[in-house]
Amino acid sequence: MSAIKPMPPVAIEKPKAKVWNGARAIAEAVKVADVDVIAAYPIRPYTGIMNSLASMIANGEFTADIIVADSEHSQFEIVKHASAVGARVFAGSSGVGLAFAAEAIIVTALSQLPVVAAIGTRALDDPGNFGMEWSDALMFRDFGWLISWAKTVQEAADMTLVAYRVAEDRRVLLPHFIALDGAAITHVATPVVPVTKQQATEFLPPYRPPYRIDPQDGPVTKAQHIAPSLIGPEERKTIDVAQKRSKQVIAEAWKDFAKYTGREYPPFLETIGMEDAEFALIGMGAYMKDLELVASRLRSKGHKVGTVRLRYVRPFPAEELINALGGVKAAGVIEFGYSFGSPFGTGSLYHEVATSLYEADAKPTLLDFLFLGGREPTVEHFTQLAEKVIESAHKKPQKKTYWLTLRGEDI
Amino acid sequence: MTVKLVKVTPKVERYPEYEELDWVIAHGLGVDHTADITSFSQTIAQAGSIKGIETYYYMRYDDSPERNYIPMAFYTVLGKPKVPVLLHEEVEPVGELFKVIAVFSSSLLLQKTAQRALLFDGAKKDAILLVNTSITTDDVVRLVKKYNLAQDWFGKVVTISAAKIDSAIAYPMLGALARGWDRIDLDSILTALDVLGKEKKKESVKKGYEAASVKEVHVLAEETEMFKKIKREVELPEFTGEFWTPEVYYAYQKAAAEAQTYPSRIATMPRWEVLAPGLIEFGPQPGKRNLGFTTPWRWQRPIIDMNKCTDCKLCHYYCPDGAIDFAPIKVDIDYCKGCGTCEKVCPVKAIKMVPEIEYLEGLRDEEVLRRFEQREYGF
Repeated sequence: MSAIKPMPPVAIEKPKAKVWNGARAIAEAVKVADVDVIAAYPIRPYTGIMNSLASMIANGEFTADIIVADSEHSQFEIVKHASAVGARVFAGSSGVGLAFAAEAIIVTALSQLPVVAAIGTRALDDPGNFGMEWSDALMFRDFGWLISWAKTVQEAADMTLVAYRVAEDRRVLLPHFIALDGAAITHVATPVVPVTKQQATEFLPPYRPPYRIDPQDGPVTKAQHIAPSLIGPEERKTIDVAQKRSKQVIAEAWKDFAKYTGREYPPFLETIGMEDAEFALIGMGAYMKDLELVASRLRSKGHKVGTVRLRYVRPFPAEELINALGGVKAAGVIEFGYSFGSPFGTGSLYHEVATSLYEADAKPTLLDFLFLGGREPTVEHFTQLAEKVIESAHKKPQKKTYWLTLRGEDI
Repeated sequence: MTVKLVKVTPKVERYPEYEELDWVIAHGLGVDHTADITSFSQTIAQAGSIKGIETYYYMRYDDSPERNYIPMAFYTVLGKPKVPVLLHEEVEPVGELFKVIAVFSSSLLLQKTAQRALLFDGAKKDAILLVNTSITTDDVVRLVKKYNLAQDWFGKVVTISAAKIDSAIAYPMLGALARGWDRIDLDSILTALDVLGKEKKKESVKKGYEAASVKEVHVLAEETEMFKKIKREVELPEFTGEFWTPEVYYAYQKAAAEAQTYPSRIATMPRWEVLAPGLIEFGPQPGKRNLGFTTPWRWQRPIIDMNKCTDCKLCHYYCPDGAIDFAPIKVDIDYCKGCGTCEKVCPVKAIKMVPEIEYLEGLRDEEVLRRFEQREYGF
């Protein structure tokens, strides 16, 4: 596992960087991915993506059917059906929009349709709360969707292309969410090196579903009524195996992506300073940049702190995580998602990490740091929590979970 | 691509714990009998409990009795001292479970159950067959031997023409049951009705008790037509680990259509490795029909009078199962569920529905005819 490092620039066409926000960068990736059908329904922070796509289509930059649906539920139904007839599709939403579309989203996975959708993560409304929280995307971790999490605008754009490649692979055939931290990615503009049309064409073959709904291919039925005594566990098992197979496909896809674009990513975990680390900060998404800064500052003070960034939550890289955390005394999970009433009052990502570590030979002390309700964290918060992790290695911590950014007593 | 077929005899597992209990299975047709089967089973369970027997009853959950005429079943389970009642919802009709087989319409004697089992699959050897019909006990035994029995049977047949006594047919049937089965006697049924607040129905139960005909039966498996006919094995594609191709799919479909027993039907359902991603089912080619999954609940069939028919094709277009050919107009009876839509839409009244029992056996069962006359369609 290593950090992102550029390959030598030989023989690779190097397009000029553009300053794009996350929404625009995703839209540009969708453009070069030659998507056929796009369904849209506005909800902040996803809205920027559909706006960019709509104006690009209106300006004649590329051709795709863009359908503004009457709701998120219809939006996801439209792409599901379009995918079933053989189109490459794109959708996206945020927060309660996803909650409303849940039925369509779940059936998409069970029908094994490689829909790719972006989530601008958003708190699940206390009415009007548009702050960044992970609860919306993590709501769908149990139904068969692949879910990746971007740290930078650049990565978000690259992930979009890789998502199509992985989702449409015949060993997988599962829908794919790309989670972008609301505001932090969707609304922040940074220089992005675009994937060129040629690179995209070479990297991403056309979508050829094994069995599409098309009279030319002969009659097929999809998503038919199921009697549990006849087909039940069997159908679930096909999804399960597709999820398990996807790990290899993801690793292959990112390797190939580096070949065509020169941008190299570790497939599942981005680890920084973990070679000799005694303390680890585990998280995902855009705020890992801040955590990496905090880790390097603490390192200069003599604390061996490293960071582990998960790039995928589904499939969850459990073995990789156990390996990365070998030799670590204490670790903290930094997260923006929660499960009320959960064991010890811990967050959603903590559950995944703790479950993985249960199988590890040596288990570090594991703390959970929660940023809930969408209030933005600062470097100060990250420094505080990193110090808590370091302290916990010497002194048994009084509690497992810390709510940061909270006013009032954290009980 | 050719698919290699292998002969498979499905394993039949028996559950001795369940065989120690007394099971009452009540078969009926969706909507028509739902309420009556519920009352019937509930009263038996209540009567058993009055006698100090541990009991429970439930609907077979796989059925969808909210749809007209779909075969449905209820189970009532009576425990024995020292044998606890065990919950096992999806009862497989194998072994010796059913002490009482209650049939709410004689049309069910002509067909397999919804589980593709014979009516007597899973029955105890001394089972009591209780039928709501006006035909004679001898005719009932003859039909059962012809269509629905492939094993020894040293039990009883009890018939009752229930609707003649009460339109709520459950109550005369309960009386008839008490006449044929000493485990649940008349007194405990009457007490149960008190407990359930259905005192008004006591009279119907007593009348049913009086009116029932009971006949001892002694049938050997070899005497039944089904014993020779029934095939216990299926031909399935050899498992190669490949994705589900149309050829493999059609082979499974053919095996399923030909499966004659519940275990063989279940055996024709593919293992997960051969499922196409996203549950693809391959349809028949245009103009062809699927290999027959549609027929088990037909209790009446359309007869077209070609002298009256004007060839307007309305029946072809309205048939919800595509069972009527376009040219010439002809019913493919293997796909007809007997819903009666064609009769209803025919503008010249050229289509007449005929009860199956009358068409196939020439028997006029008042219980079937009464229902036939009262048929209502949802449009």
